[in-house]
Amino acid sequence: MSMIALRDVTKTYQVSKEVAVTAVRGVSLNVERGEFVIITGRSGSGKTTLLNLAAGLVKPTSGEVRLADVNLWSLSDREQSLLRNQKIGFVFQFPSLLPSLTVLENVALPTMFATNHKNRDAYERAARLLEVVGLSDKLSAYPRQLSAGQQQRVVVARALISQPQVLLADEPTSNLDEQTEQEIMNLFRDIHGQTGITIILVTHTSQLVAYGTRAIAMANGAILDA
Amino acid sequence: MNLGQFAWSNIKGSAFRSWVVFLCAMIVAGFSLSTVLIIRGAQDSLRLALDRLGADIIVVPEGAETKVESALLMGKPVKVWMPQENLGKIARVPGVAVASPQLYLSSLSNASCCAVSDMFMVAFDPKTDFTVEPWLKHKLGHELRLGEAVGGSYVFTPEGEENIKLYGYFITLKGNLAPTGTGLDQTMFMTFETAQDIARISKTRAEKPLEIPPNSMSAALVKVQPGADTRSVALDIMQQVPGVTPIESPDMFQTFRQQITGLLRGMLVILSITLLLSLVLIGLIFSMAANERRREIGVLRALGATRGFVFQSILAEAALLAVDGGAVGIGLACLATYLFRDLLMRSLGIPFLFPSLPSLVTLVGGGLVVALGGVTLAAFIPAYRVSRQDPALAMRE
Repeated sequence: MSMIALRDVTKTYQVSKEVAVTAVRGVSLNVERGEFVIITGRSGSGKTTLLNLAAGLVKPTSGEVRLADVNLWSLSDREQSLLRNQKIGFVFQFPSLLPSLTVLENVALPTMFATNHKNRDAYERAARLLEVVGLSDKLSAYPRQLSAGQQQRVVVARALISQPQVLLADEPTSNLDEQTEQEIMNLFRDIHGQTGITIILVTHTSQLVAYGTRAIAMANGAILDA
Repeated sequence: MNLGQFAWSNIKGSAFRSWVVFLCAMIVAGFSLSTVLIIRGAQDSLRLALDRLGADIIVVPEGAETKVESALLMGKPVKVWMPQENLGKIARVPGVAVASPQLYLSSLSNASCCAVSDMFMVAFDPKTDFTVEPWLKHKLGHELRLGEAVGGSYVFTPEGEENIKLYGYFITLKGNLAPTGTGLDQTMFMTFETAQDIARISKTRAEKPLEIPPNSMSAALVKVQPGADTRSVALDIMQQVPGVTPIESPDMFQTFRQQITGLLRGMLVILSITLLLSLVLIGLIFSMAANERRREIGVLRALGATRGFVFQSILAEAALLAVDGGAVGIGLACLATYLFRDLLMRSLGIPFLFPSLPSLVTLVGGGLVVALGGVTLAAFIPAYRVSRQDPALAMRE
């Protein structure tokens, strides 16, 4: 059973009445449990849309998306949100921490949407994860008080708080300098090595494929080689 | 963290936006409550004044209706007279149960012989009176004796004194009536006998004597017999007693009722405009905030927040600001209305009685509901729209 399975998925955006843009065309992809897949491609190649399709954040125009053998678009909004909350961790390209929350609160935030939410457990787990990413001294800090690299580490910790089965990372190092990029990528590799979590990481930097267990290249909304 | 704490963190995170919404809620709630307090206070006051008089009909000299109403409601002293023989004629009109005469007098202005300037004084006949007598029997257990008086809630014996000096005559204040918010609160009630005694003494001890025309009265208070039609009794009085105007209880204080109605209309117009502008402003602020936070909301959705959570968190933010702003606005409105009630009465020319605690609690609750309803209503559409947006598209913007 694949962790993520996309079957002949196409996504077309209707830009205006006359203009439609196809971001992903007829993509089929199986990602097995424990894989670290790196998807590369130039800007506009459809990588981010593919990632969003895999997460159920975008509804495919045609085709089927399955996560842990569940058809995402057969679920209600509540069921889909819960599935995302419990099975998927996200790392975004842009600064995605909530500025009004402390680092600890940001990391614990996803547990708020879980059905079995307990504050104390969540904060204890968040503190442990921040220790793992080397930020145990920043629990009470606000995102604006952190560097871009530190912020991205917090985002990684947040992505892991619900003990997800899949980690989806959209260009997680694009705003970072080379050294910080390496630190973050090493962090992904360590997490993958220690937990066996399935990771799909999207990047335009082809040098990063070395960190994964499988590389996929995309162009014009299609997979070039799998 | 729960929904409320999350909403509160967003409020703290956007100080300027939160302050604007807070101020709008404060203005809407405060202004709504002030309007209701003033109008309700004036209406309660009129009702209590009518209850205090206890008459179905007040008969006054022809043309003196407004003067008498002003005297009773605003405490403006008045000198109106009609022959006392009218009392007998009024009492004989079919349907009249009791007719009781009253004399309307006033203390002198800035005179050393009077402890209080321009105080409205009402003299009544204890044999027929039904305005003060029931209260006297209930509270004092006896009728007023010569030289004794009762006062409205604002009438006091000067500090260090045992009596109130009027026209050089020393009157003993035996008690105070409950407040009505009208001129009756500054009025002193005494018997005919005491009024005549003051007039007698004033000739030698006052700067100017108190003049009471012989065989005269200022007004007659009428109670109709049970089952009798007040309107037809009033018409009969008008036909059978020349030179008088009977005012039925429901028609009494018409000038003031019109003034209150005009005031109510004016305040309602201003309130509606304020409410509308505030709601539009709050709606715009929440729309702007929703647009600014599109990416943030996209992230929340990606982390597992349902559409319902996003919608509720924005409404919770609005509700918290509405309750906080509304509470402050209501507190300020209550305080200002209470502290400046005398100024309100004078400047608006209406009677006013601050509501009792149970009424105030109800009104405060109503004010909060207005603030809460208004602000959440204004935030509803932006909250709904942003909760329905495509999270992936929102994150890309």
